[in-house]
Amino acid sequence: MRVFDKNNIRHLALAVVSAALLVGCNGGDSKTDETGNGGGGKSSATAGRKAPTAAPIDAQGPTIKIGLVASVTGDNKPWGDDSKEGAQLAVDEFNAAGGMDGKKIEMVLGDSASKPEQAKTAAEKLMSDGCIALVGEVSSGNTIQMAKAAFDKGIAVVAVGATRTDLTDEGSHVFRVCYTDAFQGPVMAKFLFDKLNKKTVAIMTDNHLPYSQGLSKSFKETFEKLGGKVVAEKAYESGGTQAPNYSGQLTEIKSANPDAMFCSGYFTEVGPMAQQARQAGIKAVLLGGDGWDSDKLLTSGGDAILGSFFCNHYNNADNRPQVTDFLKKWKAVPAHNGKNPDTTMGALGYDAMALTLDALKRAGKANSKAIIDALEATEKYPGVSGDITLKGMNGNPPKRAIVVSVTAKGPDGSWQKFAKDYTPDQIK
Amino acid sequence: MDPRTLPQQIVNGVLLGTIYALIALGYTMVYGVLKLINFAHGEVFMLGAYGALFTSWMLGFGPEGTRTQSSPVVLLLMLLGAMTVCGLAAVIIERFGYRPLRNSPRIASLITAIGLSLLLQYGGQIFILNGSPQTIKAEANPYRGEIPISLRAGDKVALADAEKLQPGIEIARAAFVEQLKHEKSEFDLSPKGEAIKKVRDDLEQTYTDKVNKANEKAVNVLLPKGGLLMLGATLVIMACLWFLVKHTRKGRAMRAVSHDFQASSLMGVNVDSIVTFTFILGSVLAGAGAMMYATFLPGTKIDTFFGMAPGLKAFTAAVLGGIGNIPGAVLGGLLMGVAENLVVWAGYDNYRDAIAFVILIVVLLFRPGGILGSSKVEKV
Repeated sequence: MRVFDKNNIRHLALAVVSAALLVGCNGGDSKTDETGNGGGGKSSATAGRKAPTAAPIDAQGPTIKIGLVASVTGDNKPWGDDSKEGAQLAVDEFNAAGGMDGKKIEMVLGDSASKPEQAKTAAEKLMSDGCIALVGEVSSGNTIQMAKAAFDKGIAVVAVGATRTDLTDEGSHVFRVCYTDAFQGPVMAKFLFDKLNKKTVAIMTDNHLPYSQGLSKSFKETFEKLGGKVVAEKAYESGGTQAPNYSGQLTEIKSANPDAMFCSGYFTEVGPMAQQARQAGIKAVLLGGDGWDSDKLLTSGGDAILGSFFCNHYNNADNRPQVTDFLKKWKAVPAHNGKNPDTTMGALGYDAMALTLDALKRAGKANSKAIIDALEATEKYPGVSGDITLKGMNGNPPKRAIVVSVTAKGPDGSWQKFAKDYTPDQIK
Repeated sequence: MDPRTLPQQIVNGVLLGTIYALIALGYTMVYGVLKLINFAHGEVFMLGAYGALFTSWMLGFGPEGTRTQSSPVVLLLMLLGAMTVCGLAAVIIERFGYRPLRNSPRIASLITAIGLSLLLQYGGQIFILNGSPQTIKAEANPYRGEIPISLRAGDKVALADAEKLQPGIEIARAAFVEQLKHEKSEFDLSPKGEAIKKVRDDLEQTYTDKVNKANEKAVNVLLPKGGLLMLGATLVIMACLWFLVKHTRKGRAMRAVSHDFQASSLMGVNVDSIVTFTFILGSVLAGAGAMMYATFLPGTKIDTFFGMAPGLKAFTAAVLGGIGNIPGAVLGGLLMGVAENLVVWAGYDNYRDAIAFVILIVVLLFRPGGILGSSKVEKV
């Protein structure tokens, strides 16, 4: 049996090493938009994003196909399900209103399985199926891959909840309906420093997520600028390569005695981390970004997560007409059993799809390039999560951010208590 | 590298290491009798976690469950649930996955093992709860909390001095709570509210600073009760295993098969039943490990990839200790657990796994058979 002779082993080793290098590059690309305009709205630094040069594509067939990439399986399933339902709601509404020149919209779903590489495959599949615009994803890592794939075809990508700041640098075909990490990091830093009066903080970063790395960075910069001190910075990796045991990092954080701990990862890891932090004797208040937004956080975080704060996009209790309208429509869907969306990705998924369809209508023709141009021309689109302006913003609309505290689940299923909101002007 | 956290890190490492050791035993025993690296073992571990999860659901700790009081019986039933699921999985995998290939080249079994592992990871997503990760509720564990052990006390005089601030803090807190009734929200205060809040926060800050200063030199170790239970249970399980292998008929047969497959079958040992038995034994241990891991590390998410990371670590541990060697697997598991935590302790948390594997490579360079293994060169 000479299968594993010397030469083969050498080739195998080479393959393993190069695979490891590839994995290492994934997400290591951490150039960030230093000016941090993002949610700030004063765009200039990234003006003149590279434009896709591919020939425009017209919709073929009896329907106009719009692709949606969502994590309907895997870790981010709560987000994927909600963004899918939200987007479907927008499509149904558009079709009920007559569609586009008598043609109906067909939403084609691609599953990213919560993994960047599968998000890329899903995007490519949707484009070869004839979709003339793509909506999605929630996680930044997945959206970056979609954006890269769509650049070659010159097809618009409207991100649902991807907040990583440099995401829109992928090209002038990338837009989003949410704020960026260059905004939510400073929001949490300011809230912690001004409102909670805490001056020392420890930061836990998920090195597997480009989102988490960017958020930790922007949080740290603002917190230090305000005069606070970062006493410990620790990292871990999600994505199944590391056992979900953070006791080592938490022991070190405990000995640094921070007043607060900023966990910039996703709810899937933050829940257990909160419980393990209390086990390690850390009494600091916990904070995080919009990656915490799923009620699964309550089951995995138990009592340990209650009283923590995180940054979110909008609040179901908001009384703006768009919010009440949207919730009424959402609850009317039989499958939702009269319940509000579990995460804000329901509203953002709706906004992303509705904005895309609005752009299609304004463009006047079902053409990939025309949609990109119409999206770029968006001004004050009244979305559920707030007004969206994309004109001259390099794809990053200035939006409001809301700080909420985590509470035990109430009888109506709500578990986020409004604490404070910040507008882009307050952060500049 | 803070010498004050070293004792705690070693405790963390040993607790994690016991789990690795439990899984590593499965790898090493199967390798011992069949010379097969059972790559699906990590997935058996994953199935065990689901076994524990579903048992906890049946006992009233489900997503809609309202039970909040647990008891040792619940833990025991969860343990049995996990072990049963793993035992059954082992029988099925061995009977239909490996036995038909027993006389094929060893590489065929190895590839089958990898295939089974992927099948369970990705195929499981379709069947198990639509691929959504779940967690065992913290309430299912009746032994929560930690036992603090002080190895070196802090400055008692300074601590007593800090405690003197407590009455003042209480008054400030009460005043703020009183003031909140007249405020719109805790984060949108009137000037008066802001002033009271500032007094409270300043007092709290002074107190925290004083306590931290007093405890600057203190060395404390927190022993999680669940972790201690886990350690105890693991030691009992390992003692049973030791007895079984060394002092029973079945154990003797196992050792005979591991020594020489052909000869022992000629001597009247029922090789098939021994192989199945070994698979069950190893898997049951993994099940115990999975239940304890998912319960005593509260909030741990369980999905079909749950077994990947611990499985890989445990496999490494088995190789490190000397694959095919039972005490070696335990030693390897503990070493891996402690090494991982010491890497974090040294401040290289970005390279937690990388360094753990470097240790493996270094050990194997000097002792190719593993720490306790024979140095005879094996062709995989």
